[in-house]
Amino acid sequence: MMIPRRRNKVIVIGGGIHGCATAYFLAKRGQIVSIIERDHIARHASGVNAGGVRSLGRDLAEIPLSLASMDIWNNLHDEIGSYAKAFHPSFYLKVAIDEEGYAFGSARAEELERAGYNHEIWLESSDVQSRLPKLTTPTYGGFLVEGDGWAIPWQIVRGFAQGARQHGAEIIEQCNVFSLELKQNCWRLKTEKGFFEADYIVNCAGAWAAELAFQSGEPRMPLAAYAPMLAVTERKPPILPAVIGVLGHTLSLKQIDTGQFVIGGGVRAAANLGENSGEVVLPELVKSMRLVAKLFSDIAYAQIIRCWSGIEGYMPDNLPIIGHGKQPGLIHGFGFSAHGFQLGPAVGKALADLVMDQQPRIPLDAFRPDRF
Amino acid sequence: MKKDFDLVIIGAGPAGMSAAIQASKFDMKTLVLDDQLAVGGQVYRHIMQNSNKKKDLSFLDGDYWSGHNLADKFLCSSIQFLPESRVWQITKNKEVFFTQKGKAHCVQAKSILIATGAMERPMPVKGWTLPGVMTVGGAQILLKTACSGADGAVFAGSGPLFYLTIQQYLRAGFEIKAVIDTRPKKMSLVAYIWAFPSLLQLRLLLKGIRWHSEIRKKLFYFSDVKSVRIIGKDVAESLCFTDAEGREQRISANHIFIHQGVIPNINLTMATELKHRWCRRQLCWKPKIDMFGESSIEGIFVVGDSMGIWGAEAAVFSGKIAIQRIAEKAKRSVAIKTLISCLYRWRQLAIRPFLDYLFKPPEDWLVPEDDTAIICRCESLSKTDISNAIKLGVSGPNQLKSFCRAGMGRCQGRLCGLTIQKMIANHHGQSEEKIGYYRLRPPIRPLTVFELATLSNDDSTAEK
Repeated sequence: MMIPRRRNKVIVIGGGIHGCATAYFLAKRGQIVSIIERDHIARHASGVNAGGVRSLGRDLAEIPLSLASMDIWNNLHDEIGSYAKAFHPSFYLKVAIDEEGYAFGSARAEELERAGYNHEIWLESSDVQSRLPKLTTPTYGGFLVEGDGWAIPWQIVRGFAQGARQHGAEIIEQCNVFSLELKQNCWRLKTEKGFFEADYIVNCAGAWAAELAFQSGEPRMPLAAYAPMLAVTERKPPILPAVIGVLGHTLSLKQIDTGQFVIGGGVRAAANLGENSGEVVLPELVKSMRLVAKLFSDIAYAQIIRCWSGIEGYMPDNLPIIGHGKQPGLIHGFGFSAHGFQLGPAVGKALADLVMDQQPRIPLDAFRPDRF
Repeated sequence: MKKDFDLVIIGAGPAGMSAAIQASKFDMKTLVLDDQLAVGGQVYRHIMQNSNKKKDLSFLDGDYWSGHNLADKFLCSSIQFLPESRVWQITKNKEVFFTQKGKAHCVQAKSILIATGAMERPMPVKGWTLPGVMTVGGAQILLKTACSGADGAVFAGSGPLFYLTIQQYLRAGFEIKAVIDTRPKKMSLVAYIWAFPSLLQLRLLLKGIRWHSEIRKKLFYFSDVKSVRIIGKDVAESLCFTDAEGREQRISANHIFIHQGVIPNINLTMATELKHRWCRRQLCWKPKIDMFGESSIEGIFVVGDSMGIWGAEAAVFSGKIAIQRIAEKAKRSVAIKTLISCLYRWRQLAIRPFLDYLFKPPEDWLVPEDDTAIICRCESLSKTDISNAIKLGVSGPNQLKSFCRAGMGRCQGRLCGLTIQKMIANHHGQSEEKIGYYRLRPPIRPLTVFELATLSNDDSTAEK
């Protein structure tokens, strides 16, 4: 006789990429899952980010997680079906255009070699030029990762949400969580839509997560909220086959399938958590624009037609919080500091492992919630 | 160092000009920015250039020429005026960012006056994107600036500007093929009630009645028309509609001018995050302002038609009142003079509610009947595309953006915003006010990567 495994009731707070991926992997493994989201799925940083899917340039501590995630991205169709079409793999190139960038790149190459990673390849200047024929500034070379690319972020998140739903998860939108408390081994949530109970809580509430954790009785975690800004231009003929970054500068540049250039990189504006709004301060983007105009003079005369920002949570060391909280049954996954989108699928898997009391395959030590 | 100004006025139409003239009386250090090559806004467009060929332009009447005096005074004042300046962001700290002649600039203001005027309400009928179809306002501007027009055009729509432009077209000697009036014949009860106060502006009222009867007499005229569609393969070829008796009509034409009234141009006020309210009478969003025009951010005033459609005469007053208010605030007093100006302005407003109710677009003009009609022109999305996206469970226009890219093009929602808001409201059975509008962000006007790159912190001088 098969003894049915106990099915835990799990509530995931936050309908971003991490919340939805976690809910998906949990529901797939037979858990009773609900996602509670204060706005709608992929409303904030997960839905409105630049969509970079990049294993390049990661902190050494993040590389295993990022590479594991890349494996899921490469077989994304198996998980989220046709939503996977929103992922466009190509290559990612981070070039050095000045002495500082070059020095930074050399140091990084040594560091990677020592740690035994070989996914980032250093290209010489001439190779960079042949990869990017429209480049209009000389480079000192750059790092290349084949298979990195970009995605339409909200579609990926929706894909995971839809997958979770198909495996029986419930998604509750427009539902603000007011409070969270542990009572006799059971978590009780007070929300806009009434009370909920669960054995496990996964806190993926992004920029709002630390406040929620603190309020539930966890130690205060140093999370700061900002709104990284993005700009998009009018449509232009295709000239850019890859996602571009610049060593030592805040910039990410890509041309999406509509022909529009998306210019980002994480220049931050202020965020207002209460009003759900991030500001857009264009003058802060001037440096990025100068860099773009220098790199590709073809883009210099493209018109910027729209700018926006999304609210994101930042940690002081720019590494996320992934792991068990102080209280039993509470698991955190937030603070991705504007580079969490690519990590999403692997983080979802890891958080699901933590809920199911399994040891995640990937070391998560660097992301311990109590490291501060 | 950024250049400092006591006052920055955005828009050199009637409201902006009168405000600037008033500001020069108070010795305020003022900068006026305008998109266009010259002063006048839309209503007095090309006024200075036209003034020396008055005889050739007999189709323009006294109301237009009255703008000359204003423009003259404005240009003779000590105010700094920068034409061809596109304002793309105002910050809460009252910095004004704009592009002029390919370079981005920033100035610091103590007070800001937004006088960006009105725009035409989009009239999304089937075929409105075909070459040969233009708005009536556009046709009027060609007339004012280049004396240029098209023989054999068809006018479809309604509203004061609609009749005015037809009049001007006639007097300029262009042949009009037909006038398709979409105003329902039956006047609503509120319109009858508001007809009484409109008698205070009898001159305007009579002018309108005269135009209307002349158009009926002289032209091939259809009233109470429904279901307008524009047919054509690559260009507009004909216009189909249902006439008052319910018969299908078809008129062939290559030039079709459409119009469904005007609404405030709110892209700048919304992107500045001023508070707005939905006006049920004029069916549009308006910035929330006090009686002097001050918005929800202290020191930012909204005047003229950008605060609500009141017309040119009222705009002149609102500009003046706002400046008096700014001057008084500096002296911490309220002068009786400002209050009197406010009262006097009421007289200028008397006819407006009547016009609003008389020409209020009926429900069936706000959303096209035809499923293939384009709603979002920038992304080429039809009514069916939008409906399908709404059915996925969209709560408002902002979520719709990610679902189908509506409103994400270069017009930034100017041409689809109200239609989409109405469609979502209809779907949920809720009011437009509750559904809300697109979240508008700077830049409210496109600017190139290069132009933004030219902005520097120590910038100060824009070319005059």
